[in-house]
Amino acid sequence: MTNHWNDIQHSDVILAIGSNPAENHPISFKYIEKAMEKGGTLISVDPRYTRTSSKADLYAQLRPGTDIAFIGGMINYVLQNDLIHRDYVVAYTNASFIIGDGYEFGDGLFSGYNAETFTYDKSSWKYKEDAAGKPLRDMTLQDPRCVYQLLKTHYSRYTVEKACEITGTDPQAYENVLKAYCATGRPDKSATIMYAMGTTQHTYGTQNVRSYAMLQLLLGNIGIAGGGINALRGESNVQGSTDYALLFHILPGYLKLPEFTDVDLATYLEKVTPKATDEKSANWWSNYPKYMVSLLKAYYGEHATEENNFCYDYLAKRSGNYSFIKLMDRLQAGGFEGMVCMGTNPIVGGPDTNSISSGMDKLKWLVAADLWETESSIFWKRPGVDPKTIDTEVFLLPAASSVEKQGSISNSGRWAQWRYKAVDPPGDAESDAFIVEQMFKAVKAQYKKGGVFPEPIVNLSWNYGNGHEPDIELVAKECNGYFTRDTMVKDKLFKAGQQVPSFAFLQADGSTVSGNWIYAGSFTDDGNMMARRGQEDPTGLEMYPKWSWSWPVNRRIVYNRASVDLDGAPWNPKRTVIAWNDATGKWEGDVPDGPWPPMNKSDGRYPFIMIAEGYARLYAASLNDGPFPEHYEPMESPVGNMMSTQQCNPAVPTPKGLGKVEQYPFIGTTYRVSEHWQAGAMTRNLPWLVELVPDMFVEMSQELAAAKGLKNGDMVTVSSERGKIQARALVTARIKPLRVGGKMMEQVGLPWHFGFTGLAKGDSANVLTTAVGCANSFIPEYKAFLCNIEKGGNKA
Amino acid sequence: MSSAKDFSKTNAFLIDMTRCTGCRGCQVACKQWNELEAEKTEFFTGEGYQNPPAMSEYTFTRIKFRDYEKNGQNEFAFYKEMCMHCNDPACASVCPVGAFEKTTEGPVIYKADRCIGCRFCMIACPFGVPKYEWSKALPLVKKCTGCYSRIKEGFQPACATTCATAITYGPRNKMITEAERRIAARPDRYLSKIYGKDEAGGTGVLYLTALPFNELGFKPVTMRALPSFTWQALRLVPGIFLTVGGGLSAISWINHRKDRLRAEKAQQAEATEPGKEEQQ
Repeated sequence: MTNHWNDIQHSDVILAIGSNPAENHPISFKYIEKAMEKGGTLISVDPRYTRTSSKADLYAQLRPGTDIAFIGGMINYVLQNDLIHRDYVVAYTNASFIIGDGYEFGDGLFSGYNAETFTYDKSSWKYKEDAAGKPLRDMTLQDPRCVYQLLKTHYSRYTVEKACEITGTDPQAYENVLKAYCATGRPDKSATIMYAMGTTQHTYGTQNVRSYAMLQLLLGNIGIAGGGINALRGESNVQGSTDYALLFHILPGYLKLPEFTDVDLATYLEKVTPKATDEKSANWWSNYPKYMVSLLKAYYGEHATEENNFCYDYLAKRSGNYSFIKLMDRLQAGGFEGMVCMGTNPIVGGPDTNSISSGMDKLKWLVAADLWETESSIFWKRPGVDPKTIDTEVFLLPAASSVEKQGSISNSGRWAQWRYKAVDPPGDAESDAFIVEQMFKAVKAQYKKGGVFPEPIVNLSWNYGNGHEPDIELVAKECNGYFTRDTMVKDKLFKAGQQVPSFAFLQADGSTVSGNWIYAGSFTDDGNMMARRGQEDPTGLEMYPKWSWSWPVNRRIVYNRASVDLDGAPWNPKRTVIAWNDATGKWEGDVPDGPWPPMNKSDGRYPFIMIAEGYARLYAASLNDGPFPEHYEPMESPVGNMMSTQQCNPAVPTPKGLGKVEQYPFIGTTYRVSEHWQAGAMTRNLPWLVELVPDMFVEMSQELAAAKGLKNGDMVTVSSERGKIQARALVTARIKPLRVGGKMMEQVGLPWHFGFTGLAKGDSANVLTTAVGCANSFIPEYKAFLCNIEKGGNKA
Repeated sequence: MSSAKDFSKTNAFLIDMTRCTGCRGCQVACKQWNELEAEKTEFFTGEGYQNPPAMSEYTFTRIKFRDYEKNGQNEFAFYKEMCMHCNDPACASVCPVGAFEKTTEGPVIYKADRCIGCRFCMIACPFGVPKYEWSKALPLVKKCTGCYSRIKEGFQPACATTCATAITYGPRNKMITEAERRIAARPDRYLSKIYGKDEAGGTGVLYLTALPFNELGFKPVTMRALPSFTWQALRLVPGIFLTVGGGLSAISWINHRKDRLRAEKAQQAEATEPGKEEQQ
């Protein structure tokens, strides 16, 4: 989130799209209802009428996978009716930037496309620059090649009629959404977008989020209280997990993992460190070398020196796309001897799970660390399979739950809240830290005896005490970072061993260690900031700066320099996030997004400090599938693309085995319910939750049920090109067919929590989904596929 | 009759169904606190995701779902059914052994050690709340305890503690004031009645809704305290006992007076002239 949970109460309009906060983040509804009590409007945009919709002032039905068209219509409405926050757009976004002459867009494709490789050569997308390399600009926003005009042209095609034709939304409902949401461009109005997997789990999921960000920038809603784009993370610590580089392409703190072509540290840093061309751009990523070197020092300690480029050569270099789908492809090709599943259940949670299961059959060994015996940990006993035909040796390591170990949990709002250990784990269960340490020790012991290139393992710095398991506080302190030698920074002398106060003190010369630069400041010499529970609320906006610690540097609303005008005065004094005090020469309120004076002062800085040019990107040349979002159909779609002849995302190679609408006429989507969680291991083993939702079901419209001769509760078979499952039909008025391109189209929705083991069993929805991912993030397109429904269960 | 006459300070629940998201956190919290078993369920019972089929010895509170259409709009609404903790409870009134008591703190509590299993309470309760332990050989009655043990320790009821949105708990007059404030602030959002304010003579659970009560599944109930119906007759009993009984005793005494006098005379005659009868 750019903002945080408590902040939602300050929104005048809340758009819940691709999310269902009432069901999946029920506590957040406290804040949504606070906003509504103050007169705020809740808008629910969803393929079906959910428990969130039941509380919303406005509901608009949306065909799965058509967010770009829906938001596109809203962007067009804002532009055509001049509802932008003009001062904000001109001063803080790249609206005024001129784009190079080579940039073109037509019939669904941007310039530079290679149809054979499904990739773009992005060189034609660059800004037009002057001799000094500075982008040219037109502050009047009139130049036909400026971003603003190109944006207007691009979105002029997303009329209300066209948008509704694609999305299936009732035009009156859509108009109501437009009127409510697009009125928040006023400086004293704020709107927030709460989104989740309904947004991201598409082959253009990143562009879906991009379109939300663009809408918010046009309305001046980024950086203000009650604004922002706010991802509702799907797991209590998934924010923490991505912060700590659970994803294949990053290192802690969202540093890029070096690739095979980054032959040495200098080459790598040259590639990743952006250069600013404007002295008023903070270009905060220019500090990249400090964070990378401090991380290498955390990994290799005394071994990492300036002479050996801080052991850069020890890092494994990525030579391909190791995203989940690609790993599962390789698994099926027999490309892995072994696999470690730590708290993950691929044959329920992954796409096209029948293929994943058969891939697992090829493993020589599997280690599963979990609280329960999950489906993946007993994959060889799954229905329809003879265990005698599977040779995998499986180890199940019982793992400690979150109350049985100490550590931090970072919520969607970036607040890292420390948890103490309440009870010992039962039986032989151990914490993940113990498990990882034991593996490390065993691998290290082997490498000490020999092997190819042992140094990256045997030289690893591992100073977490000598207890039964790593002392998590020591880990946290190392992630915060400390000085390796007496160092002078900003006229202050720090002694060796002192914690760094923030990432502003990290160095590229080996004098600092930091396991995760964005967490610098979380565990200082003053103690564990994440464990604080102070209830002071100095701004009155419920930011509670002394309750836990948020990255970066305990800032609660990021990009908050955009919440003030060029003189540092809040756009909305009634919801002041930060305000410049000329007398003291300091900012008051939230931690400012950089301490520099307001933009109008000579040493002021632009607000979007993480972007090289300092301006928020309405036009973003860095993405794989285009600088502007464009509507494409999901890989499995019942209709042709009404925007262009480019049916699907051109930057996503077409996968094999796609279903056709003639065989699978209904749109399928997946979702979650309050009562179960993720792949269901935890919740389908708890009797009180099983009592509430005991069986796998599929929600369908009354029209579809009538056509198939189904009553509520009947067993049905749901099938897709990938497989078949059975489920109980839940017939409801809350799912309605969609009018798309003039034709009525049926859709069904399935919760994906069920699997073949546990107190409550059921078939897994992900048997049906497609293993194809987003062009940028590679997240699977779980939310839109084609399927069929037949009366009667399957025999399998 | 109940032990407290002024109910303004007794604790009551304010349950705002327009704020309820149907998450069932309350159902689970109640089971956890009271250590109740989960029931065996299949699919859903009723509309929406409703489970289990009814309140029972294992289920003290339950969210009822409504999933229908009205004027072309979807209605997806929720109603938390539970013991109403009436001010003047019918269960307490009919119980022959005084196993129910309306406490000054608010909850109507049940004393299992007094219960004789007669089930008059189940017949009397207009809300159908008390449930029987059909599964047990020595069955008792089961219902929501109002989390009395928690209230006495200064905590809120388990459901109120867990609920992030809909349930407030506090003195009844304050709950009513808050309910009236909400209705006045957003008349477009609320039905202008508070269910429980006068129902059954006033209850310890007050509801706000957007939809008409009967559409949500609330029971239509008299506005009078249930005991007041029988109290009309019962309150006359001592008087009738005394007047009618006394009157009949008096008539009986008068009627038998002649016999007594005759008997006394006969006894006196026997005493002064013994054997007189033999000379006849």
